[in-house]
Amino acid sequence: MNLAIADLPINPLLLYIACALGAVGVIFAMPRRGNNPAIVGGLVAAVAAGLVVLGLTLGSGRGEPTPSVFFYIFALLALGGGLRMITHPKPVYAALYFILTIIASSGLYLLLSAEFMAFALVVIYAGAIIITYLFVIMLATQAPSADDVDALSVYDASAHEPIAASAAGFVLLALLTTMLFHGTPDLPTRPGIDSSDAILARLPGKVDDALTPILLANGLMNEDERIARMADTGEVMINSAKHTVLVTNAEVAGEAPTRETGRLVEVPAELWPSDLSGTNVEGLGLNLLGEHPMTIEIAGVVLLMAMLGATVLARKQVDLEEEAKARQARHLALDGAIAGPGGAN
Amino acid sequence: MHALLADSTLTGGLLTLAQSDFPHALSTLTLNHYLFVSAAMFALGIIGFLTRRNLIIMFLCTELMFQAAGLALIAFGRYHLNFDGQSFVIFVLTIAAAEAAMALALVVLLFRRRESLDADLWAELKG
Repeated sequence: MNLAIADLPINPLLLYIACALGAVGVIFAMPRRGNNPAIVGGLVAAVAAGLVVLGLTLGSGRGEPTPSVFFYIFALLALGGGLRMITHPKPVYAALYFILTIIASSGLYLLLSAEFMAFALVVIYAGAIIITYLFVIMLATQAPSADDVDALSVYDASAHEPIAASAAGFVLLALLTTMLFHGTPDLPTRPGIDSSDAILARLPGKVDDALTPILLANGLMNEDERIARMADTGEVMINSAKHTVLVTNAEVAGEAPTRETGRLVEVPAELWPSDLSGTNVEGLGLNLLGEHPMTIEIAGVVLLMAMLGATVLARKQVDLEEEAKARQARHLALDGAIAGPGGAN
Repeated sequence: MHALLADSTLTGGLLTLAQSDFPHALSTLTLNHYLFVSAAMFALGIIGFLTRRNLIIMFLCTELMFQAAGLALIAFGRYHLNFDGQSFVIFVLTIAAAEAAMALALVVLLFRRRESLDADLWAELKG
């Protein structure tokens, strides 16, 4: 699966130049002391993104469909919102730009015809999670001093090693996209056993549903027969390469079907369903639920315990704070009483 | 739908569509567009996490990375014409919500300790 350079959807040189440009743009856009050319940085980063999009579009000029103009609009909004989110010095604005990114992402979801997830994203993220973030931002930010309302905290006004982080991030992006576009070389498969057949043999119902109508319709199996499942393992005897499957008589179904009692049916190649294969997700699901069912339960319990723990922790702190406030209030009242009604201001 | 699954390989060309009423699958090159947007979003999240010193914005950047992963999952699900990607995004959203609740509770606790959101104030945790 090692593709030649010419087969890549984008010229790698163009991709790397665009990544370097994007890194420079992000570095410029980062908050820092003194004048802040965020617009210049944003423009450079946008030019870099445009180069990649242009390269991808030119690369797809071989009769392949290109995404619609809505894709470019939503992608630009999402990436621009993300860029402004990580570069805006004020946390509230950063959260609002993240909402822009989320809504643009939900537009991309709609383009991918994932309608439910698009609206769930807006409701859960923009409606719930980010609002929680906004509340915490407002709770946990020092009140501005009266003389300079727009003053920023020191830790908001300057970024932490923007050059090293941007370089690392965009090297990562270049490598990720190279891997995505190149694909991975063919991985060796387990010798001796076809993993697709191994998954199919253990899947409940899939082979039966796919093959029974075909076998019955073509007279390869009698009405009183069914696809055999081994008594000891519950597996189906199937061989996709040879197009064979073991069937057994329903009369003796209660007994243990073995290779001897069953009948090996060879299905003609043109009748064999081409979509009958064990997929990765089915294998994963069988593995997860068949072999590690406790893991899921434990994961659920861990999540529940984390939630309860967080609640208990936060409650205790709130109580302490209220206690402190009450003590402070008593103290102030005492001070006022000592100073007298005229002295209290 | 499963016929489409069998025909689709990551490096193959256009998917052949057996059922015309099902929405069109993504071609490999179009999938690459979505994957690039996802990768760029992830890189932006990492850069933000590394550079910003505000604890809340650092956690917002992790949410941006969750978003990038979700977009890639949905695009892959669309490419394979099944719903596995979308169900995984539901899990990602669940984890993101749980993570946001936990992280924000921690941020509030840390803020009460130091009266500041500066991550550098906790530099002694480096050991």
